[in-house]
Amino acid sequence: MSSKQQHGSVAEQVDQTHSTEPTVQSSQEWVSAAADGEAISEQQLHQLCDNASLQQHYERYHLIGAALRNELAPKLPADFSASFAARLQQEPVHQLVVHRSFFHRIQQGMRQAANSEWLKPTAQTAIAASVALMAVLGVQYVQQPYEQELMSPLPVLHTQPVSGFATPVSLSQTTVDDRLEQHAHQAMLEQQRRLQDLLNAHHQQVRVLEQSALLNEQAPVVTEPEPDGNY
Amino acid sequence: MRWSLLLLLVSSLLLPPLLLADTKGWQLFQQSQDAVRNHNFDVSYVVFKGEQVTSFRWLHGVHQEQQLEQLVPMDVDGIDILRKGKVVYYLTPERPVLITLSSYIKELPSLLYQPVADLKQLYDPVSGSVSQMGGRSAQLLRLTAFHPGRLSYWLWLDVETGFPLRIDTVAEGHQLLERWQVTHMLLSPQLPEALKALLDLPLPQPDKQHLQPVATPPQASNIELAWLPSGFKQVEDPLVVPSLGVPLLHYWLLSDGLHQVSVFVQKPNRQPAQAYRDGATTIYVHSTEQFDVTVIGPVTLEIARQIAAAVRYD
Repeated sequence: MSSKQQHGSVAEQVDQTHSTEPTVQSSQEWVSAAADGEAISEQQLHQLCDNASLQQHYERYHLIGAALRNELAPKLPADFSASFAARLQQEPVHQLVVHRSFFHRIQQGMRQAANSEWLKPTAQTAIAASVALMAVLGVQYVQQPYEQELMSPLPVLHTQPVSGFATPVSLSQTTVDDRLEQHAHQAMLEQQRRLQDLLNAHHQQVRVLEQSALLNEQAPVVTEPEPDGNY
Repeated sequence: MRWSLLLLLVSSLLLPPLLLADTKGWQLFQQSQDAVRNHNFDVSYVVFKGEQVTSFRWLHGVHQEQQLEQLVPMDVDGIDILRKGKVVYYLTPERPVLITLSSYIKELPSLLYQPVADLKQLYDPVSGSVSQMGGRSAQLLRLTAFHPGRLSYWLWLDVETGFPLRIDTVAEGHQLLERWQVTHMLLSPQLPEALKALLDLPLPQPDKQHLQPVATPPQASNIELAWLPSGFKQVEDPLVVPSLGVPLLHYWLLSDGLHQVSVFVQKPNRQPAQAYRDGATTIYVHSTEQFDVTVIGPVTLEIARQIAAAVRYD
């Protein structure tokens, strides 16, 4: 059933229950059409603008159409705010947990440092790895054309089937090529890990580069400002 | 005689402007170094390395003539780097803190902390045009390396304060390797609020005994480095080399004051030559029958290859 037909049948019911005036009755069809978005004449438009009863019909047809199309917005009850406040009062009270502040965390770290032998190689490696992690993730192949030959040393994979037997197509079977590929992948990962270790070691060297010089420069070494304010 | 007089005249006309330009360039650069040492600021910046972008928050202040600094990597949770004077603290989650002595945080652009007198031996400063960068006027300053194998720097400095807004590390032929760019900058007359709490923190004082080297790199007597790049020297007694999966046979740390290059010699792994890049840092692996050489540092690939080739086995 089209929207217009729906309007028509509902309009008949509206006619029976509400008004029986001839002018309004004859107008109902085009008012319904207008509510459906169809064109009306200029005279009908003037009539609609001047006649409050027609406007009520027009509004009612719109409402009926919207109800049939499930387009009606849910209406808020008059006592909405009161019932909302009542429900709100019934809600359990949640309190935000105050997390340790940034400097509390630092303070905690410092306490640990003060109580531990922090310059052991194991600790250094761990810290170096953590800090350098950002950089390590950025390691990438050099892509310049003239350097391509440097990048081709990876093991050449055998892409031709090994002669002597035919390997049936199977999802569960691992081919020689697959095994070689896995081996190459494993070797590449191993090499990447080795290079990451070396990159971490390099960063660590740079961090402690000035240490000897500053140690020999003065005693105590610590945070006393220099006379000129520069460090 | 006439020609020599003419030459003298031309040189007397040309040299003063060139020297003046040189002086102006270094003055600009000095201004940027002063800005990162003397201002109170709260800055955010990003570092572009190829397709990888990492972001940092950088706080700095001066309190009673002492510098306080904090560097926070935004992409990695729980890592903080603090500096109070010449003591630098590396904090990582659930680990003891690492304390080192350093005049600056080494994760910041080292160019901003090197003595200008040293840089004058390596670079020629050329000031460029003024452009707009994030709503601020930025003066371009190019530090072009005298030696083609050394990386050059293009800096954009805030006209008003001298603060560095952007630093590009470029190889020969203006190939961009790494970009450091400020995304937010707040200069203030007082110490940033976030740093004030640092003043009350009971930071442990570095113990001289603990700062002594706990390990020294192995020095195989039959392996030598026969060549160094221009301006580089071997660092005497490099400190600690963290334990590595593949044991070291020999280790050198080279430095020209601004850049550091590590040369690792390890047992042969029979890997063909490989080259990688992490921003401006080149990683070059060269394998021989006797050993593997890995060169890591901010040098061009060609220089890295030459260093690796210069490792000799007697």
